[in-house]
Amino acid sequence: MSTFVLAAPIAGKSKEAEIKRINKELANIRSKFKGDKALDGYSKKKYVCKLLFIFLLGHDIDFGHMEAVNLLSSNKYTEKQIGYLFISVLVNSNSELIRLINNAIKNDLASRNPTFMCLALHCIANVGSREMAEAFASEIPRILVAGDTMDSVKQSAALCLLRLYKTSPDLVPMGEWTSRVVHLLNDQHMGVVTAAVSLITCLCKKNPDDFKTCVSLAVSRLSRIVSSASTDLQDYTYYFVPAPWLSVKLLRLLQCYPPPEDAAVKGRLVECLETVLNKAQEPPKSKKVQHSNAKNAILFEAISLIIHYDSEPNLLVRACNQLGQFLQHRETNLRYLALESMCTLASSEFSHEAVKTHIETVINALKVRGVGPLRGQERKGLDVRAGGGAWMSGYSLEREVVAILAEKYAVDYSWYVDTILNLIRIAGDYVSEEVWYRVIQIVINRDDVQGYAAKTVFEALQAPACHENMVKVGGYILGEFGNLIAGDPRSSPLVQFNLLHSKFHLCSVATRALLLSTYIKFINLFPETKATIQEVLRSDSQIRNADVELQQRAVEYLKLSSIASTDVLATVLEEMPPFPERESSILAKLKKKKGPGAGSELDDGKKEPGAEINGGMEPSASTAVRYLSLVSPHPSCSLQSTPSPSADLLGLRAAPPASLAAPTSAGNLLVDVFSDSPAAAPAPCRFVCKNNGVLFENQLLQIGVKSEFRQNLGRMYLFYGNKTSVQFQSFTPTAVDPLVEGGAQVQQVLNIECLSDFTLAPLINIKFRYGGTLQNITLKLPITLNKFFQATEMQSQDFFQRWKQLSLPQQESQKIFKANHPMDPEVTKAKLLGFGSALLDKVDPNPDNFVGAGIIQTKSLQVGCLLRLEPNAQAQMYRLTLRTSKEAVSRHLCELLSEQF
Amino acid sequence: SFTGLANQTFCTVLLYKNSPSLKTRESEDIQQQIIRETFHLVSKRDENVCNFLEGGLLIGGSDNKLIYRHYATLYFVFCVDSSESELGILDLIQVFVETLDKCFENVCELDLIFHVDKVHNILAEMVMGGMVLETNMNEIVTQIDAQNKLEKSETFIFQSPRQDR
Repeated sequence: MSTFVLAAPIAGKSKEAEIKRINKELANIRSKFKGDKALDGYSKKKYVCKLLFIFLLGHDIDFGHMEAVNLLSSNKYTEKQIGYLFISVLVNSNSELIRLINNAIKNDLASRNPTFMCLALHCIANVGSREMAEAFASEIPRILVAGDTMDSVKQSAALCLLRLYKTSPDLVPMGEWTSRVVHLLNDQHMGVVTAAVSLITCLCKKNPDDFKTCVSLAVSRLSRIVSSASTDLQDYTYYFVPAPWLSVKLLRLLQCYPPPEDAAVKGRLVECLETVLNKAQEPPKSKKVQHSNAKNAILFEAISLIIHYDSEPNLLVRACNQLGQFLQHRETNLRYLALESMCTLASSEFSHEAVKTHIETVINALKVRGVGPLRGQERKGLDVRAGGGAWMSGYSLEREVVAILAEKYAVDYSWYVDTILNLIRIAGDYVSEEVWYRVIQIVINRDDVQGYAAKTVFEALQAPACHENMVKVGGYILGEFGNLIAGDPRSSPLVQFNLLHSKFHLCSVATRALLLSTYIKFINLFPETKATIQEVLRSDSQIRNADVELQQRAVEYLKLSSIASTDVLATVLEEMPPFPERESSILAKLKKKKGPGAGSELDDGKKEPGAEINGGMEPSASTAVRYLSLVSPHPSCSLQSTPSPSADLLGLRAAPPASLAAPTSAGNLLVDVFSDSPAAAPAPCRFVCKNNGVLFENQLLQIGVKSEFRQNLGRMYLFYGNKTSVQFQSFTPTAVDPLVEGGAQVQQVLNIECLSDFTLAPLINIKFRYGGTLQNITLKLPITLNKFFQATEMQSQDFFQRWKQLSLPQQESQKIFKANHPMDPEVTKAKLLGFGSALLDKVDPNPDNFVGAGIIQTKSLQVGCLLRLEPNAQAQMYRLTLRTSKEAVSRHLCELLSEQF
Repeated sequence: SFTGLANQTFCTVLLYKNSPSLKTRESEDIQQQIIRETFHLVSKRDENVCNFLEGGLLIGGSDNKLIYRHYATLYFVFCVDSSESELGILDLIQVFVETLDKCFENVCELDLIFHVDKVHNILAEMVMGGMVLETNMNEIVTQIDAQNKLEKSETFIFQSPRQDR
């Protein structure tokens, strides 16, 4: 059959011949279908099969669907099968035919013929559309748990249901059948058990309680498999390993639950895990790679489970040792998986300390081969990388190696610089942006490596072909610290400049922009290069560059270098101040990937360091501001304040002519800017979900506020409006002009950094003289912890996984309260968004509920937060649940948010 | 998730796909793109690097992984989500190939090209809707044999003369 179908296109020698042949064939089939003579089943099958093949060859098929549907109702297996195949490949869901197809499927499901039932179930699973789910989601559970269903059908039914659940979870009704599904774990047939475990693993994520009993069943099943001899399970033994897939699935299922409470079950499980670990040490029963693969697949899952439980120090240590062994294994697959597991181990949030000591174990395991612990890892990392230069997106390993090995254990930063520069040299393409941002951060923050770094990059740049990322790092570091090596005639300023400029034309716009900034910094560092560099800037290829950014930089830098005095230049181009020592973006990214409470905004990691570096190159407000006066320090929220004209020294960016006391005709104009008038609620409460508004108002003074927050940083503009016609004297905060004219408005800028989580808002004290009397006002600034919320989008599955991981009682804070405002879902939505969390759609099965996720960013730590708000319109009540990894945060956020509704 | 197989001359056969988004006509270009991309990624990898690739956007983001195995001139590529064990899938590919070998008696590349439907059937016994259905080779072979028997008996009884070839 198939040979003859296939002969058709294969006969065509060229593309044209093939098309010709196919068109002829299509015409033939069409005429057969349209012909007066009714086709028998066999010919129908034959032509439908031909059509299918033609489609698979990449040609359009626009007829034959009806014939295929007819085949479904044939009682011959081969015809039915082709019919179903055609339907699963070619039918789109809006088709008229859906009703007919569903009908045929229904008949087959009811046929009690296992082969037909399987065909029908396969078709449902392969199409997996919503329509299919609507039609069959309630039918399939019945087939699955019916006592008389054949094993092969049960198997297909389980997976079919899983598929429908994945596409349309709302359509799969939970019910009495769930408990019977759990008992499939006891089924005689291993295939049924495997399929059932897959199903339960997915279902239990949403309804952990419904499936709770599966834990003990899974454990006993697992222990029977693990302790069996390799011959016991006969067909399900794969290269001397008993039922590897089922073991893996069972171990995965157990990872959905906390450690079993029942001591007997737990004991049995620990025994299993020990057996698995022991088996790893036994000599292999076969030299074949399949044997070790299957064995290790189980081993890795067992290790994941151990890490997930995080409660058996004994096992954890053994797991670590095992990973250490794998890290040295000559098989790349194992090294890769071991690194991945090690990461989960390292980013396990709940037992940071314990894990730290375990990591040491891994390092010790590495010592055996390496020169020292660090060198060993470095070498290993680079080995893996050099050999595996083609890690698809490379990031994962890069991050892992760099983050864990270098960051956490780098005691000697010159080593770190070496490693990363090597990394860029060897595999520049595979180095993510974070990596080179981070190296610059490190170099800037540690003056002991600056000279070394400058020397190293200078040497690296001498290679005839060097990676663009290297040029970036080189440009940046020489621009900052080139002076440290300028004493050596071999790396005199001009040599440095020429070296960099020799790479200039080969680089992308972004890099060239960076290099231009380096050049202007050179003018400051080495006045002797000024003429040369001005020449370069003045050249047509810069000053008339088609790229606006490059052109602008060239023009501005040229002007700057010729107009500004040396002093101004020196101030503007001052060496970069140290970056705030925050958590490494690399580590953050890693956490994001593995950590339970952490966020997952994709581009976020990139944005953040990007802002640091690029923003840093031209001293922007935040960096210049750092030197200026502090107004109201607060234990956990440091404020830096300055009148804003000084904020942008360079004036390269449009500086707002801010606090030049813009006189307005009447004070109440200000009110129009902030449309809503101050309500009765105390100020901070009103500002929880919004950033702008009127903070304070009395007869004399009105204070408006506008703020923006990003990560753990924020900036707040306070507008002081004099409502009277009389001058205010000795107006403090001192950063503001001491005289505020009648009807005038002055502005103050506060830079905010959140150091750690806090509950009390910082205070600001305002004093001034009005007609001889001293006015003294103390206000709470509208800074609450949720301002440092970073929204995180995630899938329902991730959400519930994390939700579960935060199940300790102290991590949860719940409040049930009466609604103080009308319960409008849109308003609620807006409030939650204002609060800062992401609103996650389609996560909660009840569409009335709101769930959100985000990370509180502070300098010292990040706190992952999940929230759920359940309105009850009848009772006019809300229930709010907050789960975060930190008790105080849960409580505080819950309080803040509950006052908003 | 999908299963693909490619030979070294860049003639790729997308054997099996299971993502509703891939079903519509408009998405054929995307399919082709996925095939090309996957082939490109897989074929330029060294023998001594690992067999897992993190998914790009095309195959549904980083939750998905490409897992491949190289046999003589053929690459077998599975794309799976994070609910599957990497090594487990690697073994599943082995089972698939061993099963093909049993069903075709010393399978070769041409078998796979000329009997796409059979390959489909075998895969359908192992993977359903992108999920692992059966891992026991004997069970799979039994099912396939039963199907062949059915097919033969039906062909024998109902076959009409092959007039048009």
